[in-house]
Amino acid sequence: MSNYINLSIKEIHVLLKEKKITPIDLVNECIKKIESSDLNAFITLDKEGALKQAEELSKMEVSDDLLFGIPIAIKDNIMVNGLRCTCASRMLDNFTAIYDAGCIDLIKKHGMIIIGKTNMDEFAMGSTSETSYYGAPKNPWNKDKVTGGSSGGSAASVSAGLVPMALGSDTGGSIRQPSSFTGIVGMKPTYGRVSRYGLVAFASSLDQIGPMTRNVYENALLLNAISKLDRRDMTSFDTNEDFTRKIDKPLENFKVAIPNYFVSDIVDSEVKNKILEIKKLLEDNNVKVDFIDIKHIDKTVTLYQIIAMGEASSNLARFDGVRYGFSYPNPTSLDDLYSKTRKFGFGNEVKRRIMVGSYLLSGENAKTYYNKALEIRDDLQKNFLKVFDNYNLIIGPTTARCAYDLGDKGDDPLKSFMDDVLVMHANMGGFPSLSMPVGFNSEHLPIGLQIIGNLRDEATIYGLASFIEKNIKEDFSEVRNGL
Amino acid sequence: MDYKITVGIEVHCELKTKEKIFSPSLSCYGSMANTNINVIDLGYPGTLPLLNKEVLEYAIRACKVLNLNITHDMHFDRKNYFYADNPKNFQITQNETPIGRDGYVEIDVDGVKKKIEILEMHIEEDTSKSVHGEKSSLLDFNRAGVPLIEIVTKPCINSSVEAVKYLEKLRELLLYANVSDCKIEEGSMRCEPNVSISKTEKFGTKVEVKNIGSISNVGEAIEYEVARQKEILEKGEVLKEQTRRFDDKTKTTILMRVKETGNDYRYFPEPDIPFVHLTDEFIEKSLHDLPRMPDDRRNDYEKAGILPINIEKIIANKALSDYLERFLDINLVIASNLLLGDISAYLNKNNISISDTKLTDDKFRDLVNKLDKKEISNKIFKDILNDIMETDKNINTILDDKGLNLINDDSLIDTLIDKVLSDNSDIVNQYKSGNERSAKALMGLLMKEGKGKINPSSANQKLMEKLNS
Amino acid sequence: MLSKEEVMHVAHLARIEIDEEELEKYQRDLKILFDEIDKIKDLDDFDEDRMFSPCENAFDLDRRNVEVDKDNLLLNVPKKKGNFIEVPVMINE
Repeated sequence: MSNYINLSIKEIHVLLKEKKITPIDLVNECIKKIESSDLNAFITLDKEGALKQAEELSKMEVSDDLLFGIPIAIKDNIMVNGLRCTCASRMLDNFTAIYDAGCIDLIKKHGMIIIGKTNMDEFAMGSTSETSYYGAPKNPWNKDKVTGGSSGGSAASVSAGLVPMALGSDTGGSIRQPSSFTGIVGMKPTYGRVSRYGLVAFASSLDQIGPMTRNVYENALLLNAISKLDRRDMTSFDTNEDFTRKIDKPLENFKVAIPNYFVSDIVDSEVKNKILEIKKLLEDNNVKVDFIDIKHIDKTVTLYQIIAMGEASSNLARFDGVRYGFSYPNPTSLDDLYSKTRKFGFGNEVKRRIMVGSYLLSGENAKTYYNKALEIRDDLQKNFLKVFDNYNLIIGPTTARCAYDLGDKGDDPLKSFMDDVLVMHANMGGFPSLSMPVGFNSEHLPIGLQIIGNLRDEATIYGLASFIEKNIKEDFSEVRNGL
Repeated sequence: MDYKITVGIEVHCELKTKEKIFSPSLSCYGSMANTNINVIDLGYPGTLPLLNKEVLEYAIRACKVLNLNITHDMHFDRKNYFYADNPKNFQITQNETPIGRDGYVEIDVDGVKKKIEILEMHIEEDTSKSVHGEKSSLLDFNRAGVPLIEIVTKPCINSSVEAVKYLEKLRELLLYANVSDCKIEEGSMRCEPNVSISKTEKFGTKVEVKNIGSISNVGEAIEYEVARQKEILEKGEVLKEQTRRFDDKTKTTILMRVKETGNDYRYFPEPDIPFVHLTDEFIEKSLHDLPRMPDDRRNDYEKAGILPINIEKIIANKALSDYLERFLDINLVIASNLLLGDISAYLNKNNISISDTKLTDDKFRDLVNKLDKKEISNKIFKDILNDIMETDKNINTILDDKGLNLINDDSLIDTLIDKVLSDNSDIVNQYKSGNERSAKALMGLLMKEGKGKINPSSANQKLMEKLNS
Repeated sequence: MLSKEEVMHVAHLARIEIDEEELEKYQRDLKILFDEIDKIKDLDDFDEDRMFSPCENAFDLDRRNVEVDKDNLLLNVPKKKGNFIEVPVMINE
């Protein structure tokens, strides 16, 4: 089997440019790797469409765009016109997207080739991808371990080298946590950076699409491609900048904060020690690193639950068997159609969150819970903004522990939230946040470092991330090369 | 002691913006079912509401004419409920921050003025239309997302007459503010009164009436409800809070449902639409081209001396009143008489409107002024009406071409008068012996001699001078 | 703990049919979650004057000339009659 996919994007580009390979070679290689993989990373593989597009691109002059002809995998909650979009739910098992998401428009404009749609937690609700109607994807580092989630399929496919790049979505860590578990780089950009038009909503005020890649530079490159003002999303914005511009630049007068909560007892000691190693690495290079306290940071997960489940209960109300998706056959009444379609269409985790969300908003509860959560959320954002008055970035672990066994989580409703505990602050405040691999635990499972930046300041995150990437000795490509 | 009637009214009006409130589909729903929609209107997964600023402009205009205080910092809320005509199973509306608060509409009942107080006005999206069969209902989402305003009065209406007057006035104001078509028959204005009666200060049990097809039917529905409720209370029975529907054929109300205790709509702020801050600048801009309201126009018409019956005829025809707005500097009595009389007869006969004719503003102005100065007679106007409406020629050219220019030359008129007087000395004598009607006969002969072209008023004046000398 | 009636009320609001077994499971699960969620009630040292909104003002965006997809709209409809979408008869209008 050819192994062009494991080359860097820049190297692939040179080969394409020199006509040593064509996009067809890349697509064929991806398809072969996906078909021979047992990771269950994909829900839909679009062999025909990808090959057809590759053929068309092969007839064209290779542009200077580094992403031209590069295959990409898309999380299955993002609309790609003509392809099934299931959200890993029985509810949408037979649903065909009839339009392209805003970011997919851009992916196509750049001449990237969509290989297929990746596995995930049902409607992005979960942190192991085990709630998928199609079964859980497996972690390439150890197939008994979870990939993390909800963007588990995207993480596994990039980590294992089935595709060079993927898109995920992140509501409370769903890009960063699986990136951490599978040893890849995942970015949740500033809220509004990437258009949500065409992203099936989980929690509207928290959701954000972002790039998942093998290294920092390629992550910034993909973010360049998918971030543009989209008038079909009122929260969209654009700053017209190159996110690679601070990569490999010296860190001058750099100050980094580590919240004490991020290295408290909730974090596994192996993970904590790795973060402290990174602290030392930075200090050795004249970066000032301080431990700090941030008010409410330890209570945010509760607020996050309230907001995420409240919004989800409303966003998922549209799946009712009337206009699209699963529809319970021969209902006795309209209400029967609704309640049976939703009983059989949704899985348990989704139903539980809809139930909790509905209760949180019912009667006087909306004021007690949701509105109050929004008020504290405003405070929380201000508290983080104050940190950025004094520090360039905030760092810490992405997850409290490394990937755990499939089935470990069981049906404990609380456990579902424990994986969010370090990552959802960025969603609550709208801040950009990246996870990158920085080491291994004793089981040889990747450990992720999280870097949180100020609003709209992804470029600085990439600057620090590229510095760290260059200065650590571990290699995270073995799982790809071993294939 | 008799029962005190208390009525509050909720009115929904469709705003006549070009596009829907949260999607760029055209805001009209006459076309074939489910053709005037996009992925947003059908509540497709992955779609987001896109606020139409024009809706805010229209709502601001409505606030102004209903004397409402505008909420500068506002947001939208989701009202969550499952129903087949509700594509997302939540409706985007305003619960906490309605765009307008604490306004009023002044009505006049038999010369007594009363302010009907408006509690609030908010913006929301319309639902889809449904047709019901025996076993299934059919849905057409063309109407889904058409912008609505909902206007809620305080319970301060005390009779069916007040209710009708309020609705007529409300309709007139919104119509004149160019906010809504307010066509109740077509559903672009929907009125839902809630009626209660009580012998004490405490309000009685509220009954809501829906499905009313005209303003006068609102009055009838209230009358019926009051009578029905009285009968029940007189029997010593207890009224239940409920929703009833008006039946146009029998002029009665029919029970739809007894109110469930507290609807649980799970309102929360719409996260996909950033909070809105209405700047003074935007509000000013929205009100910039607000047309004059009917009461101001009535005042002008009254001052100009137009008969009350004609004033109401003009106000009832907004297009006509808007047309007159361009001619407030000329003789409005003549102008309105022309428009209500010969011109509207001409337009009706040909089934066209003024803009379809060759009657330019300059021409109309010239025509009214010429009639005002008696430079042309009513008879000549009637003769040249078709030419005015159908040719590009100005009035003078038409008159010249037809040889119809009025004679204003004093010496010529003198000569003609002398001729008539000498030719008809018998009639002159009759006049002199006291038969005043003879003067009219002489005037008629004079006009005939002048072939209808002499200025009648100056000719009459001169004739009388000569007769009385 | 939520009563069975409360759980049934929520299930009705959410239009999710649940059987007796699920009812008891939800009673348990919701209790666990709400013990956690109720902690928010003890939080009082925050600024109450403002609710978080992801962006400052809806006015910053102008949607003029926006094109939104409108092809194949009825492709996924489970039950159609002509150009209409068909559902079990609606009552309570």
